[in-house]
Amino acid sequence: MEALRENEAEEKEEEKKAFKISDELQDLEEKLSKIQVHIPNIHEFDWSSMDTSHLPASYKINSAKEKMMLHIAANFRRQYTHLCPDRKELFLHPLNECGVEKFVSTTVRPTLLPYPELYNWDGCARFVSDYLTMEPLPNPIEPPSSLVSPTTILKYQRGNCFDFSMLLCSLLIGVGYDAYCVYGYATRETCMMDETREVCPLLKKSKEAQKETVKEKTEKYAVKPPRDLRSKFELQQAAKKEAEIQVAKQKKQEEEEERIMEAEKPKPDSLYGLRVHAWVLILSGKREVPESFFIDPFTAKSYSTTDGHFLGIEALWNHVNYWVNMQSCLNGCKDLIFDLGNPLRWEFMLLGADKPLLLLPNEEEEEELADEDLDNLVKEEEEKGSDMPPSWVDPIQISLKEFETRCPQGKKVIHYKKAKLEKWAPYLNSNGLVERLTVFEDQDCTKVLEVRQWFKNREDLLEMRQVNKITEVTTEYFGPGHVLGLKAHVYKSMNPETERTMEFYNKTRVDGLQKRVENACEMMEYFVGRSDFLYYRHTNFGKRTKRAQILVANPDANARPIMQIKECFHRNLEKPANEDVAERIFMISEERILLTYHLQENYITASKREFTKRADVDNKGNKIIMTPDMCLSYQVGSSQEDKKLIHLYKMMLKLMEEEKHLKHQVWESGTEVLEILKIREEEEGASKLTVSIYDTERNEKGKKQREAMEHQMQEERQRQDEQDLDYLAPFIIQMGNIEKMTKWQALRLKEDCLTDFKYHLIDKANIIQVRFEKETQELQKKQQWYQQNQLSMTVEDEEAYIAYCSDAMFRIRILEMRLNRHKETAPQKYIALEEKLCKDPRLSEYLKLYA
Amino acid sequence: MSRIYDTIEPNVIDQEMLQKAVEEQGPQEEAGQLAKREGIDFKDVTELQLDFRNILKIDNLWQFANLTKLQLDNNIIEKIEALDSLVHLVWLDLSFNNIETIEGLHALVKLQDLSLYNNRISKIENMDMLQELQIFSIGNNNLTSLENVVYLRKFSKLRTLNLAGNPLCDDEQYSMFIAAHLPDLVYLDFRLVDENTREVAEIKYQYAIDELKQGEAQALAKLEEEQAKQKELDYHKAAYVEYLNGPFLFESMYAEDAEANKLAYLPGMPDLLETYRNKFESVCEKLFAYGLEQYEKREAEVSTFYKCLQEALAANQEQGTKIILEFENQNMGLLEVVQDMSSFDMAETKLAKYNDDIIQLSDTLMTLEMQTVDQLEEIIKDFERNIADLVSTFIENVQGMMAQCRDLENHHHEKLLEISINTLEKIVKSEFEEEIPDDVRMLFVDKDTIVNAVNASHDIHLLKIDNREDDIITKANSWQAAVIEEVHKNEIARNRSRVKEINQYKDHLQEELDNLESLEPVE
Repeated sequence: MEALRENEAEEKEEEKKAFKISDELQDLEEKLSKIQVHIPNIHEFDWSSMDTSHLPASYKINSAKEKMMLHIAANFRRQYTHLCPDRKELFLHPLNECGVEKFVSTTVRPTLLPYPELYNWDGCARFVSDYLTMEPLPNPIEPPSSLVSPTTILKYQRGNCFDFSMLLCSLLIGVGYDAYCVYGYATRETCMMDETREVCPLLKKSKEAQKETVKEKTEKYAVKPPRDLRSKFELQQAAKKEAEIQVAKQKKQEEEEERIMEAEKPKPDSLYGLRVHAWVLILSGKREVPESFFIDPFTAKSYSTTDGHFLGIEALWNHVNYWVNMQSCLNGCKDLIFDLGNPLRWEFMLLGADKPLLLLPNEEEEEELADEDLDNLVKEEEEKGSDMPPSWVDPIQISLKEFETRCPQGKKVIHYKKAKLEKWAPYLNSNGLVERLTVFEDQDCTKVLEVRQWFKNREDLLEMRQVNKITEVTTEYFGPGHVLGLKAHVYKSMNPETERTMEFYNKTRVDGLQKRVENACEMMEYFVGRSDFLYYRHTNFGKRTKRAQILVANPDANARPIMQIKECFHRNLEKPANEDVAERIFMISEERILLTYHLQENYITASKREFTKRADVDNKGNKIIMTPDMCLSYQVGSSQEDKKLIHLYKMMLKLMEEEKHLKHQVWESGTEVLEILKIREEEEGASKLTVSIYDTERNEKGKKQREAMEHQMQEERQRQDEQDLDYLAPFIIQMGNIEKMTKWQALRLKEDCLTDFKYHLIDKANIIQVRFEKETQELQKKQQWYQQNQLSMTVEDEEAYIAYCSDAMFRIRILEMRLNRHKETAPQKYIALEEKLCKDPRLSEYLKLYA
Repeated sequence: MSRIYDTIEPNVIDQEMLQKAVEEQGPQEEAGQLAKREGIDFKDVTELQLDFRNILKIDNLWQFANLTKLQLDNNIIEKIEALDSLVHLVWLDLSFNNIETIEGLHALVKLQDLSLYNNRISKIENMDMLQELQIFSIGNNNLTSLENVVYLRKFSKLRTLNLAGNPLCDDEQYSMFIAAHLPDLVYLDFRLVDENTREVAEIKYQYAIDELKQGEAQALAKLEEEQAKQKELDYHKAAYVEYLNGPFLFESMYAEDAEANKLAYLPGMPDLLETYRNKFESVCEKLFAYGLEQYEKREAEVSTFYKCLQEALAANQEQGTKIILEFENQNMGLLEVVQDMSSFDMAETKLAKYNDDIIQLSDTLMTLEMQTVDQLEEIIKDFERNIADLVSTFIENVQGMMAQCRDLENHHHEKLLEISINTLEKIVKSEFEEEIPDDVRMLFVDKDTIVNAVNASHDIHLLKIDNREDDIITKANSWQAAVIEEVHKNEIARNRSRVKEINQYKDHLQEELDNLESLEPVE
């Protein structure tokens, strides 16, 4: 207890300081309002104007258990203020949105939401920080007077640090973390969500662990380096000078850095250490968390428990208990130990709740504690009844749409040091833009250095575009599956034959192309994993000839003339080094082919061969096929020219064949580039978004199909209804009274119905007959007319007449068929109706008797 | 088969025939002209066709060392012979001949396709070496026994077999039998072996096949075991301690020692022998373990040395390549430029400078080589010393252990002598009561005889031990000499070849230059 007293004394001092300072509150508030200018689009939202009428009863009244709980809390508070009169009031049971006092632990509503992104703490934190708009505390040095339920917070999408932490804590406990809401003190930047002094996390380069490949000197027989014959003294002098320059340079750099640091330092905060903040603590143990850490709900960043942003802790709670910190916070949170089971460090409110952690107690306390533990166990058994009442808050619900939209209105802007990050919900922008990072050169964010844009769901699989505003270079990154395996595209302009680099997913390409670098007169292609061991091809182009420029109409003919093609190969271990070509250069303009072979073991010169293509004719007019001077070769290891001309000749023929093939290949590469550029341009113009087939909301086609199906079903139903049309209805109406129907009436009804149907059938037959006769008459008339005028008719008229005749004949035939058919079916229909009427429930009983 | 021999003049493979065949089948058109002008080496020919030539005897084919395909079909060959030098042969066609037995194929280990169609063969045999065989055609022959086909199980890569036209095909079980016994076969007599037949056949011949399989598996296991044993023995031999991990040396000491066998009948001898044997064996075991350990050490030493040597050489090669690359980059296109130069004087100076550069390059390379030689010499010396140390320690220790053996033997000898004298005394005093064989009793006639016998036994034992010791020491010494010599030889060869390479390169460059200079005045 001695230690506790000391702690309290220390805290007393702290408090005193605080009081002194609070005198100057007026003046501070002004400053604060200035600071708030930084924070974007905070429209004051009046929480009191909120409509609470629709909220369920649990929000408006306290249950008996809750009242009991509040009673316990009040008792705890009384004891606490008595024991530690100098400490700040506890944040135990603030008012909720309906003006009812609720204990903070019951406001935590552990919920597991059905989104896989929310299964880990970082996803949860990011969601909370994106979804809600931050509001500063009304009084920066006091906790808020009310604490709104997480459901209401979600509805209005805004809240202060306490609301943020409560929501995040609910989600984290829901997915199984050992999470706590923490009420304490933090720096101004943390409380105000001011990240303008932080480097954007997207810009932080992951420090690559530079593994220095320590070359294992095989001790014993390593050769000694040749003797150094330079003057030792001179070397020393030179080294000294070098060192001096180095030191001076370093000093300069350091000074420069210091200057920058000075310039960037925040203004001193007069409320330092007093600003109230709430955040989340996750203790190690559950969900394989190796070490306890803090999460700042505003920024969704994790900090270690010793981080300098957090200056002290008053209390913390989860859904089962409430603990008050009894350790000194003079040194910020650096010295705090989070063993919540230790009552010397953490004063708990409810005994019955399980203690999350009990670190090994000190030797002296061990025995005492052992006894206590036993007592506790007994007590626990007894006090199971006075457990925390269930949360009064409704289950947290987030619809898929809300989850996807994330930020209020689907857009969020964060300012970082020399950078601005904008976020959008997917599908909000028609070009699929979801994130944009703008990097500035200066602190005031006026000169743009670089813009990075991230895209999602684009049909062209574009994932990211990076534009360097200084060099004007655009880099686009694509997901796997783009046409021709495109992976990245670096360019300055979309015009062909300018500087560009295209990277490919070489595994999806048959030719194993990994990269193609191009500029006005060169093309370099890099390959990976080819069976012919080719890994590099370099093509030099010459200037277009004038004549070619005229032939613009045919772009294929307008290809740049190829000057030289160089190919490099890896070593093929199946061949002897002297026969394995390492490099071949086709000098197309000079009609020469140079071959360089791989180095043999322990040789320093490589074999070479040079072919000169000449289709000469000797002085006798015979064609010279091959002469020794057409092939100059340098053969390593053997002086005599053992290769016969026939072999060289064969080799040359093969090479010439290859050259032809290569030329074609280069042409194909060129066309491929053009094609990609064309496709890219089209895609950029269209910028379509894809919709997953599982996305029921956005999948238009699926939606239409589903709607169509529903529509069809409805129609089907309608038709069925129609089929059940009541054929007796008109007659029943005629008769008026249906309730009491006599046998005679029933008979009459039947008779009426049948006669009516008979008339109907006869009418139909008549109509068909009339039409038939009419057609026949018309045809006869026409025929007569034709016979009369046959001689004076033109060919066209005659043709028209023939067409009409055949047409009319067709109609007549159809009518005839219909008539016949009607005559056939009419009696059947009549009988069918009679049968149906006999079976009709309304008539059957009367008719049965009659029958 | 219906050939009338009388009307046919048998032919012999001679130079003329071969030359003609090669020319006919060689390159055609332009390349053919070139080939004709230069002549074709038989060594370069890979395919040869000698069909319908009435050849009676295969001969004179040894020059075609690189032949992969040989067609000798439709001749009157009676015996397969003279094919031993054609080791690269993949394709051999001997169909339509008069061959009676399969023979003379053992050198053709790469053979994949063998055709013996239409001959007079009655048994499949002598093909054990043809492990690569994939296609085998032996139709229209005199094969009668189905059991003989089981021989083909050896060829795990055999996929196509033609047996049609043999008497054995008349057996109604023929196709079933083949399908069951050659499960990897895909085509039989130009037809796909269908799954149904195979299944039925497998069921039918299940027992026979299982028996065969078991036999094969056993043979394989035995072979593997033997190989493993041989490998271990080789390992021990490399450590010079073979058979020392058991009673082998001890037993060999007594194997040729007739006296010792007789002396074993003396009272107290069995115990004495037993303890002696145990002690001796334990020393041998120690020696064995030490030998293996030292062997590992030596191997490690040698491998470290070679690793370092390789590293040094790789570094040297890199350096040399870099120098040459620099030179080439520097002087690239120089000759062309000079050729096109208008001013003769300027061209001349350029060329002179180029010449100087060449000489300087060769000097630099030579200096580098000299430096490497020095460096290597140093580490080789170190290595030599270390190896010598290792071997001498090894020898010393072996000698020490052998001395222990000898001590044991001496001790044993003394004991034996004592027992013998005692026994002699007893016999002399007629106090000896135990039964001993007559020839043993013969030794105890007088003191000299018995002492001589014991000494003779002792001498034999010592001799054996000495021999073994000498054997180990000689082997160790000769190993040392061999290793060192090899290192030196390699180094010298390397140095020679490098110097030669540098000179050759220099000559090549200068030749280029000379060619240019000789051209210039003309232009």
